[in-house]
Amino acid sequence: MSASTTLLDQLKTLVNADRRSGLPGYAVATLFIAAVAFTQLSLFGSSAPWFLYTPAVVVIALLLGGGAGVWATILSALGAGYAASRPDLPLFLTPVHWGASIFFIATTLALVGLVVALRTALLQTEVLRRQREEDFVASVEREAFLAGVLASSTDCIKVLDLDGQLTFMSEGGQRVMEVSDFNAIAGCPWPDFWQEQGYVEARAAIEAAKRGEARSFVGKADTMAGTPKWWHVAVSPIFGADREPDRILSVSRDISELRASEEERDNFLRLAENSTDFIGMAGTDRQIFYLNAAARRMVGLERTDAASLTIGDFFAPDQAQFVEETVLPAVAGDGSWSGELNFRHFATGEAVPVLYSVFPIRDAAGGLIGYGTVTRDFRDRKRAEDDMRLMNGELAHRLKNVLAVVQSVAQQTLRNATDIEIASHDLSARLVALAAATDVLTQASWRSADLRTLAEQALAPHGRIGDTIRIGGPSMTLKPEIAVAFALALHELATNAVKYGALSVPGGTVTLCWTINRGVEDVGFDLVWEERGGPPVTPPEHKGFGSKLIERSLRSYFRGRSETDYRPEGLIFQLHARLKDAAINTGN
Amino acid sequence: MGESHPIGTKTILIVDDEALLRFDLVDFFEAAGWRVFDAEDADQAIIILEERKEIRVVLTDVQMPGSLDGLKLAHYIRDRFPPTILYIASGHVPLREDELPAHATFLPKPFDPNRLLCQLEMVIE
Repeated sequence: MSASTTLLDQLKTLVNADRRSGLPGYAVATLFIAAVAFTQLSLFGSSAPWFLYTPAVVVIALLLGGGAGVWATILSALGAGYAASRPDLPLFLTPVHWGASIFFIATTLALVGLVVALRTALLQTEVLRRQREEDFVASVEREAFLAGVLASSTDCIKVLDLDGQLTFMSEGGQRVMEVSDFNAIAGCPWPDFWQEQGYVEARAAIEAAKRGEARSFVGKADTMAGTPKWWHVAVSPIFGADREPDRILSVSRDISELRASEEERDNFLRLAENSTDFIGMAGTDRQIFYLNAAARRMVGLERTDAASLTIGDFFAPDQAQFVEETVLPAVAGDGSWSGELNFRHFATGEAVPVLYSVFPIRDAAGGLIGYGTVTRDFRDRKRAEDDMRLMNGELAHRLKNVLAVVQSVAQQTLRNATDIEIASHDLSARLVALAAATDVLTQASWRSADLRTLAEQALAPHGRIGDTIRIGGPSMTLKPEIAVAFALALHELATNAVKYGALSVPGGTVTLCWTINRGVEDVGFDLVWEERGGPPVTPPEHKGFGSKLIERSLRSYFRGRSETDYRPEGLIFQLHARLKDAAINTGN
Repeated sequence: MGESHPIGTKTILIVDDEALLRFDLVDFFEAAGWRVFDAEDADQAIIILEERKEIRVVLTDVQMPGSLDGLKLAHYIRDRFPPTILYIASGHVPLREDELPAHATFLPKPFDPNRLLCQLEMVIE
């Protein structure tokens, strides 16, 4: 076998190495046959004239092809015929030689045919071998190319069987999935690598691929090293020879960074959306292309499409003109503008006071592409300013009223005074009582005054509360306009008691008590000042400021009745009014 | 609603819900020899004006409880009793000229009663 293979190989080498053909081939054949003829003539003469020619024709046919072989056969027949010819014969050859010549030509041509067939076979084998070799090289190259593509792709390329189990993962894929040993995960169900919604999507994608459909989804999966990543996954069927899905291709791309930048962008969007400030953007054509939720609320655009609006639509005509002619050129030039303006509420038309801040929006190259605004709602602030103005006005009013009361108390104290020193002392004490009442009112923001607190404040300078002065009554809040006069009246009662009444001697006491009585029509308020243990009482000859104040002022303030009884055993002052005229509300 | 000795045309109605101030002014004008009426709100003031046609001067506070405040009362008086001399007092910022009835004088609170008295006696005589 090896010997014949070696012989065949050598023949193949010979056949393939010697490619002379055409005229040069015929010339070589002619020369070769001539040499054989010469050798034959000189060595053997006319005996066995065909003897040397046959191998020569075989060699020529083998090396130079069928044409040269036939040519050599003809030349050999002529050469051998010439060697065997006898001029004396009419046909130059004996009949035996003729027969031998014809036989020689026939067998040699047949031999040429065989050799040509062998030569062709050998040549074809060589062609096939080369082709196979070339094919092999090409397929190796293609495989190397594909392997290189797979290996260098940063996508994770996987092949799954129809049950969704991993059968292959590209080298690049193993890198991005941080797989150290693919064998450890080969055969694992692929959907198990996904988390939450990704698992559901992966299962659905495999089912779709089994039906011959391609799917893609975005999901979250950890790498084998535990790094959390976001992936975009394309799953498609790989069709077999029968055109039915045979295996499944899954290509996952790591989109974590993209996702992170999207999240960052989303965060900025959320920042704008959740801001309580008006945030908006418009193009250089003034067309609005973004408004956050607060902006829509502020100007009543919750249910309106803002896309058709321009910057000017947000203002009343005069301010729109100002924005167009002054603000926007300033922004384009100086870079920003800020100032107080009024937006126009789209639903109600009312003016919305705002601090309008505008800045340019530029592209990466620095070109102006629009205007942005972060505008603060100034309604509350305006309201606060208005409130402050009102409060200031109210404060001024109260201050002037207090001054008017001080003026009237001073005038009434001094009008009939005979002794400046006494008048001065009285005035000081009355101002102190006024101040005490003011304190009580200030604590309640001038809205009300607690009766007990007011009484304690007014009476404390004149005796010990709970000892010489006893105070009792249900919790009750006096109207603020009554409080000052009431405190002054108590002050006058106590001053008189200290000067002439129960508090002028040891052991004397004063009781201030009040009650709330439910009558048929109204709820009544009764207040009693009762002195005991003092010197015998006589009605005064002259009524001073205090007495007048107590009687007529208190009556007027409370819109009720008052009565002073100068009983010898002790003075009694009584006041009766309707509760609603005296109090704001009552406690328990 | 105090009433005192009638002396010529010196008759004044003082309208103020703040009794401390009202009684002080009542005492002051009485001491100056005026006949003085007083009311704690506009309703009382109108009743007195209907009864006492001789009242020449009305001095009213602006801020008062009741159906009319002092300013409305002043307008009412100007319409109903045109010759009345009107003084309108308030602790608030001065009222605008167009808010006041014709020939009415605004007095910012607190005011000096002596100066008011001088003005009134000049106007009346």
